[in-house]
Order: sequence, then C-alpha cells, then structure tokens
Amino acid sequence: MREFDWSVIGRSGDLLMAGTRLTVGLFLAALVLATALGLILALMRLSPVRPLRWFAGTYIWIMRGIPVFVTLLFAFFVARDLPGFGWLTPIWAGVIGLGIDGAAYKAEIIRAGIMAVDHGQHEASEALGMTKAHYMRRIIIPQSIRVIVPTYMSNSILLLKATSVAVGIGLVELTGITRQLSNSTFRPIELFTAAAFIYLVLTTVLVLLQEFLERRFALKT
Amino acid sequence: MAPLVEITGLHKSFGKVEVLKGVDCEIERGEVVAVIGPSGSGKTTMLRCVNLLERPSAGRIEVDGRVLCEEQPDGKMKFAPKDAIREAREHVGMVFQRFNLFPHMTALHNITEAPMAVKGASKQDAESRAHELLESVGLGHKADAYPLQLSGGQQQRVAIARALAMDPTLMLFDEVTSSVDPELAGEILLVMKRLAEQGMTMLVVTHEMGFAAEVADRALFIDHGLVVEQGKAADLLGNPQHQRTRAFLRAVLDRAPMEESDEPVRSPEEIKSQTERELLLQQQKVERIAKEDGG
Amino acid sequence: MDWQLVWDSFPLIWKGAQFTITLTAWSLLFGTAGALVLALMRLSSVKLLRWFAAGFGWLFRGIPLLILLFFAFFALPDLNVGPVDGVLLEPFQAAVLALSFWTAAYQAEVIRSGIIAVDPGQAEASEALGMTKAHYMRKIIIPQGLRIMVPPYIGNSMTLLKQTSLTTLVTVPEMTLLTQRLFSNDFQFQERIAALAILYLALTTVFVVAQQVMERSFRLKV
Repeated sequence: MREFDWSVIGRSGDLLMAGTRLTVGLFLAALVLATALGLILALMRLSPVRPLRWFAGTYIWIMRGIPVFVTLLFAFFVARDLPGFGWLTPIWAGVIGLGIDGAAYKAEIIRAGIMAVDHGQHEASEALGMTKAHYMRRIIIPQSIRVIVPTYMSNSILLLKATSVAVGIGLVELTGITRQLSNSTFRPIELFTAAAFIYLVLTTVLVLLQEFLERRFALKT
Repeated sequence: MAPLVEITGLHKSFGKVEVLKGVDCEIERGEVVAVIGPSGSGKTTMLRCVNLLERPSAGRIEVDGRVLCEEQPDGKMKFAPKDAIREAREHVGMVFQRFNLFPHMTALHNITEAPMAVKGASKQDAESRAHELLESVGLGHKADAYPLQLSGGQQQRVAIARALAMDPTLMLFDEVTSSVDPELAGEILLVMKRLAEQGMTMLVVTHEMGFAAEVADRALFIDHGLVVEQGKAADLLGNPQHQRTRAFLRAVLDRAPMEESDEPVRSPEEIKSQTERELLLQQQKVERIAKEDGG
Repeated sequence: MDWQLVWDSFPLIWKGAQFTITLTAWSLLFGTAGALVLALMRLSSVKLLRWFAAGFGWLFRGIPLLILLFFAFFALPDLNVGPVDGVLLEPFQAAVLALSFWTAAYQAEVIRSGIIAVDPGQAEASEALGMTKAHYMRKIIIPQGLRIMVPPYIGNSMTLLKQTSLTTLVTVPEMTLLTQRLFSNDFQFQERIAALAILYLALTTVFVVAQQVMERSFRLKV
C-alpha cells in the first residue's frame, strides 16, 4: 500500500512556480491580444460596410468552430513554415494561438454588450442632435461596459484554463511541468492535486476581481 | 408668417402594416397642439416623424423652413442629408415616454452633455444654464443626483430640462406622463403648462384630456392613421362633432385614469426594480448572443 | 496549399471521428445525468446538499479539463486507498470519466440558471392558486425553464465536442491524434491541419445551427 508523500510538492515548489509564472504570463499576453483583436472584430461586425461585417462574421464562425488545440497546432506548425515566422517558439505560438481564438469570443461579447444598451438611449441622443460618433463614445459604450463585464470576466477565466492546452505544443507551463514532474517522481496524485489547487487559486482570484468590477460599474441607485 | 411645422400627406408603413394613412397638419409659432387618440392610432408615429426618428413612407415634412423629407416627382421619397437632419434636431426638443435619461450621468451632466458637445458651449455656460433650467422645473437641489435616485416625475422633469437646454423652437412630447404615477404626473404637466405660457411651440401626444383642454390651443383626434377631427382644443374636447371622437372621449373619460395609458402605470419602486430586471435581461441577452458555455 | 491533399486527408482523419462523436455522446449522457442531480441539489432546501453542489461546481469549473484528464489517466492508477489498489483506466474510459465530470459541472449551471430565469411571478401565481411546489415545478416552471436552457445546453455540448480534441494527449485515437500521426510522417502540416479544421467546423456548425433554430423557436413561442 503506497502512502501519499505530500512533501514532494514542497521539493518541486520552484518548478511548479516557474510553470505558474509561465501560465500567468501566457494568460495575460493572450488576453491583451484577444481583447484588442476582439474589439476590432466587434466594430467590424457592427459596421455598415458589408464586406467588413462578412469578414468578421466568418472569422468568428471559424475560430469558435474549431478547438483551441487545433488553432494552437496551426499557429505552431503552419506559421513556422511561413516566411518570416521562423522564430515562432512555443511561447509565441501559444500567445498568438490563444489570442486569435479568444478574440472571436471577446468580439461577440463586446458586440452583444453594445447592442444590449436600450434603444431609447440612441433615440434621446439623436433627438438632441448628437452625432453617432459622439454618442457611441459618451453614452452607449460607457453603459455597455456594465453589461459586458460579467461575461467578459467569465470568458477570461476560460482563457486562463485554456493555457493548459499549450502543453500540446510543447510549452512547459503549469500543466506541462506537472506532467514532467509526475513522470520523474512517480507522484502523480500529489502533483496533479497541487496543480489543481494552484489553478483554483488563480481562477478564484479572477472571480473575486469579477465581483469587484461588477460592483464598481453598477449604476448608482 | 409661415407655420413652424408643415406636415403634408404623411404616410408610414411598418412592413405590411400601414400606420399612418395620410395625415396633414400645420402648427403655427407659439401654438400648443394636443394629439389624442386610441393606442395604435399612429399618433406617436406621427410625432416621431417630425424629428425623423421615423422615416415617413410618403409625404412632406417641413420644420422651421427646413424640408426634412418630400416626395419626388417619380414617387420616391427624398430625405434631407444626415447632417442636415442632425442640425435640424438641434432646434427640436423631444421628451420621451420612458424618459431615456442617461443613467450613468448626473442630472446636471444629462443637461450639459448635448449643449457642450453639439453647440460647443463652454462648461461654465452649459452648467449655469443647466442649473437655471433645473430651478425652473423645481429640481435645483437635485443637480448631482443620478437618474435612478429620482422618482419618475423628477426624471421626466430633468428630461424636459435636458431638451430645453438646446434652446429649441419646437418641443415634442410623447405621452410623457404615461410611465409615471398619477400623483406625480401633475408636477410634469405643470412644467409643460408654464412652458406653453412662455410661448413655446409644442406638439403634445397625450391621454391627459384635462391638460389638453386647459393648455392646448388646438387638438387633433387621430384614429386608424387618419385625422378624424381637429379644431380648438376646448371645442373638440368639450363638444366633439364626429361620432368616433365622441365614442373615444366617452370611453376615456368614463374609465379610471389607470386605464387611459397604453402602458400600465408604475410606481417609482416598480420602475427601479424594472431597471434591475432589465439589466439582468440585458446580461442574459449578452450571454445568449455570445453563446459561450456556462462559467 | 495542396488542396488535393486536403481532400484526400478527409477519409483518413474521419476515422477518428467515431471516437470524437462517441466520446461526446457518452460524456453528455453521464454528464447531463450528473448535472440534473447537481442542479436539484443546488435548488434544494438542505444546506449541505446546496454546499456540496456549489463546491463541486467550483472545483470542476475552476480547474482545466486537461488536469482532469491527466488525473484520470495518470494519477488514478496510483490511487492506493483502502481496498482500492489503483484505478487503471483505458484512454477512452479515462476520457469519458473526466469529460463527464466536467460536463456535469457546466451543465448544472445551465440547468440552474434556466430554472431561476423563469419569472418568479409564475411561482407566486401557482402558490396563490394553492398548488404544491412539486406540482408547479413539474408542470409550470420546468417546461418554461427547459425552453430557456436548451440553447446554452447546446452551446456547452458543442464546447464538449471541441474539448474531445484534448484526449489526444492521453492517446485516444480521435481526429486530432490521427492528424498528428499523418503529418509527423509526411510533414505536410498545412494541408493536414486544414483538413482537420474543416472537419471540426462541419461538426460544430451542426450544433450552431441547432442552437439558432432552438433560440428562434423559443422567441416565437413566448
């Protein structure tokens, strides 16, 4: 009967932390890329120019239709062969792959948030003679943030968990390092439990951040 | 002098449903015209055509010398260009049934936003004018309050001040007391009465017959998309000539105020929790559209 | 891009689709059963049950699916506790186990949100009419809740299908693994991955269409 040896976690602490740092870095970089790209796509989807709408719509359909693992494989192998991309290490492939996949979801969330603002706000602004550019900026988008925050945050939590998929293209983030450690120490239960715990801490931090932001952006009553 | 508003042959269809079937109306400067009629008669649609929030299917609309739309010889509708319409709206104020105040701005900011952004007013000028207007509607002490902190009657008065801040030549009122408790409607109507006494040209869609009889110069009764009867307000309301007008007024005046409005009257508490529920519905809409898995 | 090669890849990769689809089907079956139990626990008046269900959801939605997969495949064999002498699972079994727990946690949220989203006025009216909670839950609330639940349920199922690609990493021979085998032989990455992407797109678009159809019919009936 094999006993648990929880001290292996302590001994592997440095490596687990290194993996965690990579996970967090990957998450933040991909989040920035996904949000920026998502914002552009959302505006394209809302634009009156049909080819823009069509392009963004197709992009979103494709990215949400294929698994993020496949997007990462694509980013890693395919981009590697293209001229100018030779430097694509697993980290870059990870950031770009997760970013372009995440952008599709962020785009829909942002678009939905903007559309969710009551139509009466548009009408009042137009009746006052405001230009569309002005009232989108000052009236509609500030109100849409309130609606966007919850779904944006919960989607970001999914992105954090998706960083684990990068292990499939050789990136040694938290999941990757845990697997390597469990192979070398033969303590999979203890180590995967530790990894699970670390992920829970990270996601719980994000959940708390989400609740804070929801309160911060709530309308004053 | 030419009338301020000239509406000729106004038709409007929503898809296959023709809501306005040929409405003619002229409003002189300084006139207060009340528009009454059953729900679905097209009276609100007619009002919204005046500042082109609805685009007529046919007809001609001229406001203060600006032609907003007219029918071409070939039958097609020609509309004024976008910036001309936007500029025209600077001179036409509108007050909505559901207030449509900007919930993320204080009462003061609601009023200063458009003059500063659209007319280029300085912050100082805009704010001092806004304070004046808030005083004139009895809300001088509520400048820093947010819309959801105000009662329905107070919100609507801020909405009136917001529209007045642009110094319009014409004010449009779309059933502005229908979403408000009966006892709070009075404070809104008082503001409108004073505005009329100061000589503002007003087009008022309303169910408040008492207000119409007392304050309006002329009244229009619209039913099924057509003007059935029009004339001096006191005459039309006190002694209607047309059979349908009589039937409508009888039905309206016999019933309790509760049943006049199209929308059920709601208390301020109900409006606040309605807003919370709308926020929840909005967030659900976002989640549905974003089609993300639960999490 | 050699499109002929892409076309030729389809039948080869499609052999893995049977695993993709059966993984999804089994995990949906077990996962939904679990989700129903969890949702009922969340809505029950017994605090302990509510806590357990909430904790389950927090745990299984807070960690990546891959960790669950690796745990099921690599860690369970080492589980020597009491009478259990290690749980050795085949890749497919480990995958279904992990995916089922994962699905249960997410679909439980969908079910719970669906029931809560039903206008509370419905329950009030039912109680005012003297109906028992069991009765009106069954005849009034749940039918309405079902209509609200179906689109996000389909959305989650589509995500599940996509997540089966991760089972490659525990050697389940589904579409992604077969594709990797193909291009590790001939290095034609672009064409093989393109074919794989197209096949996934075909499968997921079925779900997308189904979801939109369901949403439309829900909106019309209201």
